[in-house]
Amino acid sequence: MKKKYSIFSIAKNALKGHKDWPKMWRSPEPREFYDVIIIGGGGHGLGTAYYLAKEHGLKNIAVIEKGWLGGGNTGRNTTIIRSNYLWDDSAHLYEHSLKLWENLSTELNYNVMFSQRGVMNLAHNEHDIKEIKRRVSANNLNGIDSLWLSKEEIQKKVPIMNTDNLRYPVLGASYQPRGGTARHDAVAWGFAMRADEMGVDIIQNCEAHQIKTKNGKIEGVETSKGFIRANKVGVVASGHTGVLAETAGIRLPLQSKPLQALVSEPIKPIIDTVVMSSAVHAYVSQSDKGELVIGAGTDSYNSFTQRGGFNIIEETVRAMVELYPVFGKMKMLRQWGGIVDICPDASPIISKCDVEGLFFNCGWGTGGFKATPGSANVFAHTIAKNEAHQINSAFNLDRFASGKLVDEHGAAAVAH
Amino acid sequence: MLIIDCPYCGPRDQSEFSNGGEAHVKRPDGSADIGDREWGEYVFIRANPKGIFYERWVHSHGCRKWFNCVRDTSTDEILKIYKIDEERPKLDSFKNNVKTPSGEPNLGSGNFTVKK
Amino acid sequence: MSDLNLTDNKFIQFHQKIGFKFDGVKYYGYKGDTIASALLRNNLKLIGRSFKYHRPRGFYTCGIEEPNALVQIISEYSEPNTRATIKKIYEGMEIESQNRWPSLETDIGSINNIFSPVFPAGFYYKTFMGPHKNFWKKIYEPIIRKAAGLGKPPKEFKAVSTHLHHNVDITIVGGGLNGLIAAKSLIDTKYSVLLIDFDDQLGGILNNSNKVLSVNNQTPMDWISETVKEIENSKNIKILKNTLVTTYNYINHLIAVEDKFVGSRPLKDKVNSTLHKIRTDQVILCNGHIERFLSFQNNDLPGIMLCSSFEKYMCRYGVIPSKETVVFSNNSNSESLVFSLIKKGFKPKAYIDSRSGENIEPDLFDLIRKNDIPLYTNSQIKGAYGNKKLQKILVEDSSGGVNEIKTDFLCLSGGINPDVHLFTQSKGLLDWDEKDLTYKPAQAFQPTITLGSASGQFDFNAINKEINEKLVIFGIKPVQIKLELNTSHKFKIEKLWEVLPQKQTIWSKSFIDLQNDVTTKDIRQAISEGFDRIEHLKRYTTNSMGTDQGKISSINALGIVSDLLDKKVNEVGTTIYRPPYAPLSFAAIAGRNSYEYYDPERKSPIHNWHITNGAVFEDVGQWKRPWYFPINKDETMDEAVQRESKNVRENAGVLDGSTLGKIEIKGKDALAFMNLIYTNSFSKMKPGTSRYALMLGEDGMVKDDGIICKISDEHFIATTTTGGAATVLGCMEEYAQTEWPNLNVYMNSITEQYATFNISGPKTRNIIEKVFPEVNFSNEAFPFMTFQFHEYEDTPIRILRASFTGEMGYEIYVPSNQAVKIWEKIISFGKEFGLMPYGTETMHLLRAEKGYIIVGQDTDGSITPLDLGLDWIIGKSKKDFLGKRSLIRSDTVRKDRKQLVGILPTNKNEKLEEGQHIILDKEIKTPTPMLGHITSCYQSPTLGHNFALAVIKNGQSLIGTKAFASTPELKTIEVEIVEPIFYDKENTKLAS
Repeated sequence: MKKKYSIFSIAKNALKGHKDWPKMWRSPEPREFYDVIIIGGGGHGLGTAYYLAKEHGLKNIAVIEKGWLGGGNTGRNTTIIRSNYLWDDSAHLYEHSLKLWENLSTELNYNVMFSQRGVMNLAHNEHDIKEIKRRVSANNLNGIDSLWLSKEEIQKKVPIMNTDNLRYPVLGASYQPRGGTARHDAVAWGFAMRADEMGVDIIQNCEAHQIKTKNGKIEGVETSKGFIRANKVGVVASGHTGVLAETAGIRLPLQSKPLQALVSEPIKPIIDTVVMSSAVHAYVSQSDKGELVIGAGTDSYNSFTQRGGFNIIEETVRAMVELYPVFGKMKMLRQWGGIVDICPDASPIISKCDVEGLFFNCGWGTGGFKATPGSANVFAHTIAKNEAHQINSAFNLDRFASGKLVDEHGAAAVAH
Repeated sequence: MLIIDCPYCGPRDQSEFSNGGEAHVKRPDGSADIGDREWGEYVFIRANPKGIFYERWVHSHGCRKWFNCVRDTSTDEILKIYKIDEERPKLDSFKNNVKTPSGEPNLGSGNFTVKK
Repeated sequence: MSDLNLTDNKFIQFHQKIGFKFDGVKYYGYKGDTIASALLRNNLKLIGRSFKYHRPRGFYTCGIEEPNALVQIISEYSEPNTRATIKKIYEGMEIESQNRWPSLETDIGSINNIFSPVFPAGFYYKTFMGPHKNFWKKIYEPIIRKAAGLGKPPKEFKAVSTHLHHNVDITIVGGGLNGLIAAKSLIDTKYSVLLIDFDDQLGGILNNSNKVLSVNNQTPMDWISETVKEIENSKNIKILKNTLVTTYNYINHLIAVEDKFVGSRPLKDKVNSTLHKIRTDQVILCNGHIERFLSFQNNDLPGIMLCSSFEKYMCRYGVIPSKETVVFSNNSNSESLVFSLIKKGFKPKAYIDSRSGENIEPDLFDLIRKNDIPLYTNSQIKGAYGNKKLQKILVEDSSGGVNEIKTDFLCLSGGINPDVHLFTQSKGLLDWDEKDLTYKPAQAFQPTITLGSASGQFDFNAINKEINEKLVIFGIKPVQIKLELNTSHKFKIEKLWEVLPQKQTIWSKSFIDLQNDVTTKDIRQAISEGFDRIEHLKRYTTNSMGTDQGKISSINALGIVSDLLDKKVNEVGTTIYRPPYAPLSFAAIAGRNSYEYYDPERKSPIHNWHITNGAVFEDVGQWKRPWYFPINKDETMDEAVQRESKNVRENAGVLDGSTLGKIEIKGKDALAFMNLIYTNSFSKMKPGTSRYALMLGEDGMVKDDGIICKISDEHFIATTTTGGAATVLGCMEEYAQTEWPNLNVYMNSITEQYATFNISGPKTRNIIEKVFPEVNFSNEAFPFMTFQFHEYEDTPIRILRASFTGEMGYEIYVPSNQAVKIWEKIISFGKEFGLMPYGTETMHLLRAEKGYIIVGQDTDGSITPLDLGLDWIIGKSKKDFLGKRSLIRSDTVRKDRKQLVGILPTNKNEKLEEGQHIILDKEIKTPTPMLGHITSCYQSPTLGHNFALAVIKNGQSLIGTKAFASTPELKTIEVEIVEPIFYDKENTKLAS
């Protein structure tokens, strides 16, 4: 690690008026050939390059990014991190990620501010209770910290919550103490910095135009900065993964939809955990800056415009005001949208495909941020070894033909 | 929020409609002659282009009729709406604003603020 | 008091004194005052503390762009972060300053200022990592969190707000000079027009400055009142005052919020704000411009203000923040302030301009000379100094000499920007104007017109030409407005973003974002670290991320960055302007759609009977369903359910099943259609019979179930689950219209047209024979799974013999408007046979004993009919039905899939719970492999012990073996895997 950060390095630099900090990363021009090209400079892509260099000894790696690194969904999400998933395959993947999160600041020597303030998922009816208790039980057997909270315990943790006097009263919740939030930009920057130190070329403003293949093998990527040859290509382009796959003749089961989020004005601490409710669609946490960070829903139609309908914002805000009446006197500071790539079973694809040397990491839908280090780690393994890590073996492309889905969607959404 | 010109009711706010994904997808029948892969593609895979997209909508809070629509997913501009039994309009009758597969249109993108 | 002669001020009602409290001290202002103008009237200049360093701050502006003066309104449920520069005072208002402790004057947090050298941009990314990771969670983060945030959280509050929709041809945003001219030109045209202004007074710059002397030979005030009157009297134009357009969405969809209580205390039960949702063919943006500040050392001290804001306090509020201010500018926008001061009998203490003498407007130059105002040309302010307020400034003059000027006030102008926020929200593109040094609207994406300074048109003499050119599309008569100006009509500026300090120490601070305490040093540091993309820079330094979104400063930051990178400003770009334009109240967004109107409650036609009879309800989707009927206050749910279920098994019970979905399907091809939708084959079914049926998704998974009644090959009635009704109807319609449009079939929901009463139990027949004496309920005349239509006291009813409890039973379908009558009859006739109503919980228990599944409880979207052991339900000879092909995929034909089984605790006293997982090992060592989970579990009054249904891997072949259920404490309970049926395996009761 070339750059070392601590209070001492800050104090030393303070005396120099903070003029001597080293550059976080280079701005290289692409070389002619790389062992691996990662398309997409978000957290997942940069992390993949980092782990390829660190754990698999590959050095000749490029990350190409259409815009600025971390500018896609990495910089647009509500930063919730948890691993309390129902199905074993999901639980193992997200728990792998959570374990990496717990050590990430130290490993990168860059504070990603992983804040384990706990994640609560509310139950609003008998059906929710059944589903949540089932999930808590599965989590516990998978070694994931997860507990059932009574209404009284919820009230103690979140005193501002209106549990009784609302259309769908709060009846209980699951709670994962190790869950929380992290500083989204810092994750991209930390991975980028350390990957760059290990020789990874991070090439910004370099748009992938076509993935070129020959006789079922990868040749390279045609980009806005010319053709770059490669032995292997990993596509981690979130909403745009599908359109890039098409250039190599591969159809992925992805639909790209707008997802919106918003923040309030900053106020002194008022809510100390992450609270999620899928019945009344409202996710909220309070950032270290004091802003309430609120996740809204997706629009129903495909779009690449990074903007959604105001009706979606309305839906979310009215749920917030219903659950937390004091929020009525607060104000929305900013709203924005991203493009999420959604898989039919609401689970990701981390997989090789029919083209030799071409790999996909996509389909994270509305919940990819929490998986960043874990996804990057197993994707690096998959690319380096040409086969899935045990943890991501279920998240293959074949499942849509065989029917062996990891249906997080179905498990959560059926009402009686 | 989009405005969608329902062919039966006229222009209405998009919140009255539900999106039905890609249009003109032929459903294979349930016979065993179809391979797992082909059937899997029918069930799970739909086109997801950036640019011109043929899609279906249903006026779910209105006349409950399904109809087809051509929309530019890079700007959300609706280019044509037609009834379910009408012929699919030809692609070359629409201007594609997106030059590269993941490129941004010159105007109407969520990503640009400044004229280049 | 710093009052001007108020008699010539039309906006302040100086005869109406208003008392209010700020930080506990009582002050007086006048009706019409904002908090800021009232406090300035009382010579108060310190209003708050900054976010990071807790630096003392004053009023920097006089409007919505204010970065500093945010206060807490104690008298309005303690609303935080309210802009003192726009919020009007009222009698009894209580205000508190924010982000300080213990007081505004003495704030402990200001110690951060001393340690500021170790709080550079992004310092938190580089530290707080040692000595152990727990330090972050336990020590560092709690401290950071405590320090962060501006205002305190609001207090308990119930929002009253409403939404209003508008569909108009033209919407004019901004009722200033251009907005009024545009509106006037549209009077009595064929267009419906909405004119929206944030202020309670139309007129904009005419009210806020002395720039314009006369309009069409009238005083500006006279012209405004005459014009507004004409507009108000017109039939086609509506004016919305006190309304801020915050959001410009796609397809000219504007969101605007109207404050209904300007200058008075909001009433509790009255609508406090209205959210206007506007659809419009054309938007005309006349929302003006915003003045920029300049960066130099300590440019944040209280006593520093923007020139146009100072002038607005004078003209609009009749208050002069200081009688001896220094003016510092690099452009012509400061001219008007100097003119205003002199007109009111004051004069600036000094005028400092970074431009050379010959580049200063000649009129201004003469005015300054004539009034003996000390003039510094080619000069810059190197720094401002003072303790909690401005006391002196250092000026570097053209010769390079540094002069000290003692002053308590300084007015700044760093140039002006068209207010492009809404324009960029609409996805219009901006272009950098190198002459005027600002971004201007260049290309609209939607039907958007910009006028006046909002379009970057800073020349007063060009107003007529611009309006006539741009509004020609509406066929208006050409406008001919004659303006007489006090100042030069053109805008001129010379580049200046930042003045470097005389002496740079590690404590020196020149601010670029006042609210977030971002300094120009932070910008330099970020760029040297490689954060040279403007979005990286914003995120790393938090520049322009405050509640003001950097309205007076973000362009300055772009200027500094472009110089540092040696790039054109256009190449640097801007960050994306995020809606809303200014913070938008959550209460307004929610409107009436929360609390009692959050979601409709759907109720059965006999809901009131349930209430009268003490039912406890559960939410099932939007429906309210009776969960159980306690006979008295003391009866618990468990007791009630045991009693109710026992009673069904021994006597009879009646359930209100009205919430189940009911769909009527008709048409020549109804039979073919039903055969495609459901797994079953209906071809050989006789009319008058019914069948339990499953509907699958195309993925082969169970989606819904119900009973299908066949009236004829052309007429069916299907029931669905309560929660699935809408989905099933939607699915039928989709396939009917899109896949099989050739089939002649149509369908409709009749859920709410009919109530459904399910009577079951051994005494059912005795009861219904009494209720419907004309019907023959014998086994021969009315066999199981058949239905009949009858008339009951002129009411057509349908009776279906079916059962979901395992007892013999009938379902009565009754028109909703007759439901109460018939229900009460059943209850009263049933009394002698022990009939009792029962709720959903008892229904769940009884059906589980019988091994009947509930879709969504025993299935979860990953279960096929085969997994449920329902092979018989699949019409194997059918060529096709929804999901058929999926049932033979490699994963769905696996023999070891999760399958439905029954579970019994080996020790019958043990209790199982839903959600518990079934495992093979007695000892749990995590992670442990799971076979599956318990989907339904009840205490059976019939069996006398606990029993459960579960879906477990390879379940069908595990029947007869032992396993374990895991408890939340990670203990295990030994269980037996059994057939999923616990009651009347031979089905003798159903047909009895």
